[in-house]
Amino acid sequence: MRPFTYLSAPDVTTALRAIATEPGARLLAGGTNLVDLMRQDVERPTTVVDISTLPLDEVQELPAGGLRIGALVRNSRLAAHPAVRSRYPVLSQAVLSGASGQLRNMATVGGNLLQRTRCPYFADGTAACNKRDPGSGCAAIGGFHRGSAVLGTSEHCIATHPSDMAVALVALDAVVEVQSLRGTRRIPLAELHVLPGDTPDVETALDPDELVTAVELPALPVAASSRYRKVRDRASFAFALVSVAAAMEVADGTVTAARLALGGVAARPWRAHLAERALVGAPATEEDFRRAATAELATAVGRPQNAFKIELARRTVVATLHQLTTEGGAA
Amino acid sequence: MAEVELRVNGTSSRVQLDPRVSLLDALRERLRLTGTKKGCDQGACGACTVLVDGERILACLALAVQYGGREITTVEGLGRPGRLHPLQEAFIRFDGFQCGFCTSGQICSAVGMLAEHRAGVPSVVTPRLAATATPLSEAEIRERMSGNLCRCGAYDGIVDAIQHVAGVDDRAATAEPAADR
Amino acid sequence: MSTPTRTPAGAPSSVGGPGGRIGDDAQRPDGVLKVRGEFAYASDLWMDDMLWGVTLRSPHPYARIRSVDVGPALAVPGVHAVLTSDDVPGEKVYGLELADQPVLALDVVRYQGEPVALVAADHPDTARRAAARIVVDYDVWEPVTDARAALGHPTWNQVHDAPAAVTELSRESAHLHPHGNLVRHLKVRKGDPEPTADVVVVGEYEVGMQDQAFLGPESGLAVPGEDGGVDLYVATQWLHVDQRQICSALAMPPEKVRLTLAGVGGAFGGREDLSMHVHACLLALHTGKPVKMSYNREESFFGHVHRHPATMRYEHGATRDGDLVYVKAEIFLDGGAYASSTPAVVGNAGTMGLGPYVVPNVHVDCYGAYTNNPPCGAMRGFGSVQTAFAYEAQMDALAAELGMDPVELRCRNAMELGSETPTGQVVDSPAPVAELLRRLVAMPLPPEPATGDDVDLRHMPGGVSNTTHGEGVRRGVGYAVAYKNVAFSEGFDDYSTARVRLEVVGGEAVATVHTAAAEVGQGLVTVEQQIARTELGVDAVVVHPKDTAVGSAGSSSASRQTYVTGGAVKAACEAVRGRVLERARGLVGRPAGDLRLDGGKVVSDLEGVALPLADVLGDDAVEETVEWRHRPTQALDPDTGQGFAHVQYAFSAHRAVVDVDTELGLVKVVEMACTQDVGKAINPQAVVGQIQGGTAQGLGLAVMEEILVRDGRVQNPSFTDYLIPTVLDMPPMRIEVLEYADPHAPYGLRGVGEAPNISSGPAVLAAIRQATGLPLRRVPVRPEHLTGT
Repeated sequence: MRPFTYLSAPDVTTALRAIATEPGARLLAGGTNLVDLMRQDVERPTTVVDISTLPLDEVQELPAGGLRIGALVRNSRLAAHPAVRSRYPVLSQAVLSGASGQLRNMATVGGNLLQRTRCPYFADGTAACNKRDPGSGCAAIGGFHRGSAVLGTSEHCIATHPSDMAVALVALDAVVEVQSLRGTRRIPLAELHVLPGDTPDVETALDPDELVTAVELPALPVAASSRYRKVRDRASFAFALVSVAAAMEVADGTVTAARLALGGVAARPWRAHLAERALVGAPATEEDFRRAATAELATAVGRPQNAFKIELARRTVVATLHQLTTEGGAA
Repeated sequence: MAEVELRVNGTSSRVQLDPRVSLLDALRERLRLTGTKKGCDQGACGACTVLVDGERILACLALAVQYGGREITTVEGLGRPGRLHPLQEAFIRFDGFQCGFCTSGQICSAVGMLAEHRAGVPSVVTPRLAATATPLSEAEIRERMSGNLCRCGAYDGIVDAIQHVAGVDDRAATAEPAADR
Repeated sequence: MSTPTRTPAGAPSSVGGPGGRIGDDAQRPDGVLKVRGEFAYASDLWMDDMLWGVTLRSPHPYARIRSVDVGPALAVPGVHAVLTSDDVPGEKVYGLELADQPVLALDVVRYQGEPVALVAADHPDTARRAAARIVVDYDVWEPVTDARAALGHPTWNQVHDAPAAVTELSRESAHLHPHGNLVRHLKVRKGDPEPTADVVVVGEYEVGMQDQAFLGPESGLAVPGEDGGVDLYVATQWLHVDQRQICSALAMPPEKVRLTLAGVGGAFGGREDLSMHVHACLLALHTGKPVKMSYNREESFFGHVHRHPATMRYEHGATRDGDLVYVKAEIFLDGGAYASSTPAVVGNAGTMGLGPYVVPNVHVDCYGAYTNNPPCGAMRGFGSVQTAFAYEAQMDALAAELGMDPVELRCRNAMELGSETPTGQVVDSPAPVAELLRRLVAMPLPPEPATGDDVDLRHMPGGVSNTTHGEGVRRGVGYAVAYKNVAFSEGFDDYSTARVRLEVVGGEAVATVHTAAAEVGQGLVTVEQQIARTELGVDAVVVHPKDTAVGSAGSSSASRQTYVTGGAVKAACEAVRGRVLERARGLVGRPAGDLRLDGGKVVSDLEGVALPLADVLGDDAVEETVEWRHRPTQALDPDTGQGFAHVQYAFSAHRAVVDVDTELGLVKVVEMACTQDVGKAINPQAVVGQIQGGTAQGLGLAVMEEILVRDGRVQNPSFTDYLIPTVLDMPPMRIEVLEYADPHAPYGLRGVGEAPNISSGPAVLAAIRQATGLPLRRVPVRPEHLTGT
């Protein structure tokens, strides 16, 4: 690990000033991703700004019925929060299906959103990786890419975003609040992560001087009937091959509302708008679920080792929606 | 260098630390508390599990400077001199280890896990998420302990040991509802 | 604050412990230390003036080294030494069976991760930074990455290709070693060379590269001695074979290279070969300071050998009634860049590769090849794991072809006492193969999976978050049997040494057992205590630290230590007992033919005598050192592979019950049941632990574990990307332990550790095949292999 200056920020303004003035500054909260990457010499901050003690660790009710989740709320607290469990069960499930109990006690909501890809070439300093070293190429495309993305990829990068939590949040229309010395702005979570295109090193819509301070969930009645499903190589403590966050309301056999997102398939938590459009108003049958999933996956591009993900994603969507129709949400 | 107050197992020490030093290395190499193990140093095995303010975390991914002033408990801090912690005793009785390298982390993790369960924290196998209390079934124990790898495969003994201790703890707790087996 | 000492003097010695004799669930003497975090593993060793050693490794799988410039590294403040192969004073190559592996790279590197140079510095970060400044100029070559290509053997184009006898190696790749790319070719020939059969099944199988994945990475501390020698405290499986190789590299006599076992965080075969041993000694001798080397997890993946990946083609012929007529097999094991224990692994795969079945006509060719892949060698099950996937799949395929129950087919052809093995050896101790299977069948099956509203999702594949609702879930049940040699074979002089002392300390009779046998977690120290308590009739047994001050115990591998070191401890105890009783007879003054040791006394019921040992021994200690051997084995005939090559066989059988979500490709192993004959369970609780552990590692290989190697490069050297089973992946087990004494073995015992690692994976595969109807010829099986996507 390279030397750095450690700064424990006593308040938000100090943290914002540090990242606004220090080009090599990185924010440290739970540390579960940043410390690992610093040890592997992938992250090389000159200043580490510790924000873990800032007062951004509360879950609050919003006047309009939603929730405001502080960026420093620990993953385990978020998953255990009664309002989340009862009104947004898909979020609890998604968080609880990620990592381990120990890691969820450390990891924060903001850090979870901003974690880097788990593509092995990203962490391997000897391999080509346009995300880590722009212009060096993508070792995954011709190499080992069983876990790589099938949606929204480019010829420069096929990495996935590894979060489970973000998949649920994006399905729930979450909005991210970010602050800088210039002020506060709100970004729909669906727009926080950007697709690789020609610049895989640019991963989010955040400016370098911006700090994620909160995530807001709107009141969303459909979310009470929601589920998260994750397909992985091991029963627990493994990243998703494919995951699905879904919320759905059905009346008289017809889908009246749907929220759907996919994980493990793209550089962002993938909100499945096309599938949602196909679902709403259609009969709640497996055949229609399959049709909706197929619409979403029409642009998916598989490679020799990961092409299976396309059909697996389709089946996971169908299975999750079917489960919602037969037994309701996870709460 | 930063001066950090490390409060470990009830004892406070002020140490000068490079901010790069992980809590794991600070424990092992500065305080010479080598009970906490380095199995992977990247948060993937659980051997370095310690308790901070009663919550289980991974010491390998924690920078020591972040944990100044917090109450840290390592495996050496469990039990009392001459008397093992009930989980330590149960791990011996139920043969919950072979080589023992994962054991410190397993035991600290189990202590934290039981506290989480008592506090009503759900797991991904909790049948009714909205319920505030869930019985600690074997499935719950296995899911909640899945962040601690044991290559010797002493998992049955580990689960038995935890069930034994949890059973003692929960004797007065509510009976399992029919939904849970 | 408690500050446990972690000087080398704190290397684990197992003292006292609660009582327990042969057959008891004796508790391990190191248990309290381990649960308190006070057991000193190799990585916990510490000396205040020590340096840290790190290794610079080759990034290339195959390259010539044009030059190495260590200057920039030496210039880094805090660096005490930078060493290359020029600094190796003795033999520059080493190896368990063939000395072909450089201590530090010579002119050519043959695998990614091959050690090139060493750095010692006052801080590990300094050493790492300095190592990164060493300039190595490589001429990078195209690696050879396929075992069959390395041997010039064509790949099998179609399943029904005739099993060609491969003698023509003219098309092999460029030689990676002067003696070619063939490490060993074992031929087994028996019976009719051109047999015919009513029913023939042919199958090709592949097994991926498995890692031992012990939780405690390689570590050791070398301390320079005042005599110019060195003391090495290290986690290993066989102190004396390490010592031999270190002495050779250092050009020192054994008395100057002293090894002591440090706490071992699991081994499973991965510590049979040297890792940092010579390196730490070299750095310590060069700097005159203690040097500690500890690998991190990534380096550990490059720092030890793995289980050989295998490509296998089998042809089984049987009568309509289901009697095996012949088996032909070609087995290719990828040994990687250096020989390690590939010759012995080939021996096992070739001789054990047909399973515990009676086969009158046999034609087996087993090859071990050099490639530029990671070196492969010992891992629990040692050649039998790979072949078991193939021969058991073949037995199931044959049963299907015959319309027979697969268990019945196995029982019909099962070996038993008096059977002749494919290598012409008569089985001369119990071989209850059929009984093991029948007992499994008799065990109750777990409840059928619920459907519809009754379904409990927590019990479905993948658990609650990622399962179907049960409608796509199919149950399968599969059986498999393991067949494994115990101890070293093929004429190897296999022995162990035990020194046992009996004395009276503070009024209490105390036995001390001193062997060099490595405690790696299996509980050997417990067994040593149990034997001494049983043979000497005392409660207090001190297990002396394991070191080279006593003779070799052989390796903690091949399921052999309870047999061989147990035999040595028993023999040494008997010798001590003989002398003590002789003295007592003198004191009693009467014949006292029934004298025995019991409860710290010399007892004769006939004479009504109970002499305290203090009266017999006074201040004397009675000590005996015994070198103990099992029956000698013989080398195999080079042309036919026939001979008395194995001293004992281990048998276990597994039944796996799985639920497979065929939609999403998820497998839940619902239950594993295991039966094993252990001859005599010296410590029943530890036997169960070995069965559980072996089962878990077999299950891991079946459904998740594989080191992915592409173009000679390891793609997943981390526990994030190389997954091993968690507690949630391991189901509950039913275990029945049989005790049919082997008349040739101490206490009638039979080696335990490996067999359950062999039968568990094939049983899981059989169950998945039954559930899905898919052929599944490659392990590990992953979701995409089950979904057909």
